[in-house]
Amino acid sequence: MKIKEKLTVGRAGLDSLFRSAVALLLSLLVSAVIMAACGYNPIQAYGAIFTGSFGSLRGITQTLTQATPLIFTGLAFTFAKKASLINLGVEGQMYMGALGAVLIALPAMGLPGPVHLMLAILGGMAFGGAYAAIIGFLKVKFGSNEVVAGFMLNSIATYIVGYLLNGPLLAEGSNIAQTARVAESAWMPRIFSKYQVTYAVFLAVAACIFVAWFMKKTVTGYEIRCVGMNKDASETAGIRVGRSLVIAMCVSGAIAGLAGVNQVLGVDRRLINEFSPGYGFNGIAVSALAAENPVGTILAGVIFGVLRAGVMELNRTTNIPIEFVDVIQAMVVVFVSAPLLIRNLGGHLSRLKPARGAKGGAVQ
Amino acid sequence: MNAVEMRGITKRFGSFEALSQVNFTVEEGEIHSLLGENGAGKSTLMNVLYGILKPEEGEIRIHGKAVQIKKPSQAISLGIGMVHQHFMLTPVMTVTENVIVGSEPRKGPFVDYGAANRSVQEMIDRYGFGLRADTRVQNLSVGEQQRVEILKALYKGASVLILDEPTAVLTPQEVEELFVILRELKASGKSIIIITHKLKETAAVADRVSVLRSGKMIDTGLEAKGCSINDLALMMVGRRVDLTFTRRAEEAGEVAYDIRHLNLTKKNIPVLKDINLELRRGQILGIAGIEGNGQTELIEVLTGLCQPDSMELYKDGALLSGAPADFLRAGVGHIPEDRLSRGLVVPMTIEENIILGYHRTDAFSRKGIQKTEAIHSFAVGKQTEYLIKAESVQSPCSSLSGGNQQKVIIARVFSENPDVLIVAQPTRGVDVGAQEFIHNKLLDLRDEGKAILLISADLDEVRRLSDRIAVIYDGRIVSQTDHDVLDEMELGLLMTGGKEGEEKAL
Amino acid sequence: MSVVFTYLIPILSSTIYMATPLIFAAVGGAFSVRGGVMALGLESMLMSGAFCGVVGSYYSNSAFVGLICAILGGMLIALFHGILCIRYRVNQVISGVGLNLLATAVTTLLMQVIWGNKGTSEMVASIDTQLGGPIPIVNVQSVNFIVMILMVAVGWVVLFKTCYGLRLRMVGENPKAANAKGLRVHGLKYSGVLICGALAGYGGAFLSLDQLNMFVRGMTAGRGYIAVAIAILGRYNPVYIVPCALLFGFCDAVQIYLQGQGIPPQLIQMLPYVATLFVLAFGVRHIKPPEGVGKHETD
Repeated sequence: MKIKEKLTVGRAGLDSLFRSAVALLLSLLVSAVIMAACGYNPIQAYGAIFTGSFGSLRGITQTLTQATPLIFTGLAFTFAKKASLINLGVEGQMYMGALGAVLIALPAMGLPGPVHLMLAILGGMAFGGAYAAIIGFLKVKFGSNEVVAGFMLNSIATYIVGYLLNGPLLAEGSNIAQTARVAESAWMPRIFSKYQVTYAVFLAVAACIFVAWFMKKTVTGYEIRCVGMNKDASETAGIRVGRSLVIAMCVSGAIAGLAGVNQVLGVDRRLINEFSPGYGFNGIAVSALAAENPVGTILAGVIFGVLRAGVMELNRTTNIPIEFVDVIQAMVVVFVSAPLLIRNLGGHLSRLKPARGAKGGAVQ
Repeated sequence: MNAVEMRGITKRFGSFEALSQVNFTVEEGEIHSLLGENGAGKSTLMNVLYGILKPEEGEIRIHGKAVQIKKPSQAISLGIGMVHQHFMLTPVMTVTENVIVGSEPRKGPFVDYGAANRSVQEMIDRYGFGLRADTRVQNLSVGEQQRVEILKALYKGASVLILDEPTAVLTPQEVEELFVILRELKASGKSIIIITHKLKETAAVADRVSVLRSGKMIDTGLEAKGCSINDLALMMVGRRVDLTFTRRAEEAGEVAYDIRHLNLTKKNIPVLKDINLELRRGQILGIAGIEGNGQTELIEVLTGLCQPDSMELYKDGALLSGAPADFLRAGVGHIPEDRLSRGLVVPMTIEENIILGYHRTDAFSRKGIQKTEAIHSFAVGKQTEYLIKAESVQSPCSSLSGGNQQKVIIARVFSENPDVLIVAQPTRGVDVGAQEFIHNKLLDLRDEGKAILLISADLDEVRRLSDRIAVIYDGRIVSQTDHDVLDEMELGLLMTGGKEGEEKAL
Repeated sequence: MSVVFTYLIPILSSTIYMATPLIFAAVGGAFSVRGGVMALGLESMLMSGAFCGVVGSYYSNSAFVGLICAILGGMLIALFHGILCIRYRVNQVISGVGLNLLATAVTTLLMQVIWGNKGTSEMVASIDTQLGGPIPIVNVQSVNFIVMILMVAVGWVVLFKTCYGLRLRMVGENPKAANAKGLRVHGLKYSGVLICGALAGYGGAFLSLDQLNMFVRGMTAGRGYIAVAIAILGRYNPVYIVPCALLFGFCDAVQIYLQGQGIPPQLIQMLPYVATLFVLAFGVRHIKPPEGVGKHETD
């Protein structure tokens, strides 16, 4: 009986894996068509992306560097989604997280390295979490649409950070909007001294595994899932629905904050205005590709990391626009969300299959 | 001639055969009762006739002409009208708007509201429906809403009228009124199909009867006059069941749940007015009433879901108030009236649902971490004890039938051994087997000395199980007696708040 | 008096000017929601409209052709949204958000392909008309001001006085009932979404061809989301939407006038977004969308 149960669970997992794979392939395919239409050779481009991201140690580290924030933001989106909240404010929470981290990391407090680093990380998580809690609070208290609220808070966050970086926090003598370097004691250590990839990538993986465990095994995780699927039944069962929603939003924001923390303490070692090429929104695609599975987020993050790193490499040698990655990501969101569409396509494909099988037979 | 003739209808959902080779004919100008249990295939058959479902096999003739009905609009143009059990009305719109949409009287592209109101009002008056065309549907009683549904069908020129469980939500008086309307319609030449599982009503109004059981037509076109209720029951269920069996309490015990001076206002309208009830141990107190007279609010207040304006609530002599969690902890079990919206998290597994509400107890969690093994073995045990038909306890509740979903809730609540039980619509949409099982469980708990409040729209259920019966009307308890003091008609009268024929206040 | 001329009149003119695209988008949103489809994709429709308008004008050298292209561009996105939400039953929020992402990515990409620049397009023929005449505030508006007024009036009549409007609202309130009535539920929903796309596309053209004469990356700047809030606040009624949109237009106008007055610009630019947030918090609590939003006729 146990084995059978495992099998049925595995079946559902396989289904969503299949769905994600098809969605990704479709998106790559459509993008290839667009690329071709724009006058680029898609095969060459994808080849170059692959070698660019995997062909060298430099490529691999670049992939992981790109994957780290994507895993965080994807996980953040997934966490809120478990409570059926669409956290469109991940981008803003990431900026706030970066701000929180930099505020603690800037002054050389004379603390031993790990302590200062930990404090800065916690500061970033607290800022991101608190900022996200606003959305949760508005939703619970006033029934505000969290999508619109999230987007508004994104804009507000970028303006706040923009203001600070052009005023109080502006590094002396800098002619672009950025802070001074953060204190060395708060640096997120890099894995290879030459490359940008930091140990935050392990933190990201750990966070994913922790969230998976949290959702499955803890009472709070269980309550969040209940609330996400049926608020009335949860209320009837004595679960404090509002509290669960705010917690879910808060944790989501804290995870989003980590993406900013990594950028500030690990990648740039300072807070630069508008540092994000849209990591927060990319998180939606990562979460979608991972079928909202926390552990799957790791793989999904790496896949998009590959694309992003590869295209950046490609961009150095050819003039192919980086935005292709954004197009692919947006299409993944759309395709993954349309299981009926995929099933329809699957139906067409399986009708094609026997023909192909027959052909294969003839060749043999 | 036959108004409707269906031959060899077969409908499958996946591998499940919902209808197999069903034949069904309705003559012109008759009232035909289509009998069957929940899940027997009555609604499926009618949905086929109405073009909502497509059959795999079979043919349909309307007034002798072979037709293919692919969608409701086709059925409508063939003169078939359907009154659904769950009304298909738009509450924020007026009676007229609900009736005319789809075939509006026009002035160019505009709706001619004047003409529309006049013609709808004229129809209302002709059939004696007693409505005003320009009222918003949300201000109408359930019986009146049903008349709007009938109007919709008539407006479209229906000559065959299908009514799906039309009496399920009506009081005995409203049922009588409906029957008068139906006989009137019959006299004007309409054919009427009533889908029902209620035998008494079939005997009262139908000319002929057809019986469906698990997708097969057991007998069709029987003269209603010649059938005894017991014969019909046997045909419907396929075995002898005693639908009147019950047992009464030995003796009522202490007051376990004492409700005093309960008042509740919603949107400035008082919905519960000075309610005083006593639940005694070893007693079932049934609340009879038409839906929408405050039952939902009463349940919500008594389970902590809704804060009343004023109330003194004593459980075993101690004051009780707070959130649902406090009520659960105090030993007040709740079987919600709508299992899909309040009872279960349907996409979750049986395991996860069977601890819902009690998931923080020591049995299922420790320091915020769930005890997976304990939960699993508990669920497996309950599955056997409560005969829950499912592949495994890790199947999602969405894969269960209504009866088995209800059993999950009941297993959950009963296992926690609550002192007080608030039980709402325990057997709604549940097959006869599960219904008997649930009723017996309730009576067992009563005999164990639990105090039970039973709220049900099914007056028969209330009368069968309750030791005392209270009637709620317009947010007030208008009568409270032992179960055998009032008969069905007297209860029905109280449920409508007065004497027969008297106008109801809105 | 001089205060009126130096501050009040320019600010009020600018209020209407800034509110116009929001009104177009929000009335579009009203049609979509009244038909039962959430309008979170408004941002993408605005953006597509703004972009396609410029592309049309660029290749034809005619602002009018640009306008037509903008409407079609908005409708194209709406069609996607409709296919996803109506045919494939995608979660409407996800579909909207996904399309917003897609529109941002695709427009930026195409800008590089067409103009080789990812920041701005080239300058194109724009709708450069002022009404003129004696009435202050109105005289500086463009011809689109008239179009907007007409659109609001017609929108209201269509929604609340015509057979089509009654049917659309019935579908939005209760698709099941509408289906049982024999209404073409899918067709009506598509029509609502497509009208939404057309109007939002027009609003987008107003941004790129009227207020400006080019496309700028991210130029919609969340106006689609703000329009969602306006549509809610305006109870999905074109007539109520106008004052709500003017409120936001006013924030925008004040924001523009406060720039260069010594206050850090970032803090002023926040104003419309903060205002939206406040409206979401305090303005829309008891406003319920039609019952049938997000539901399907066979649920």
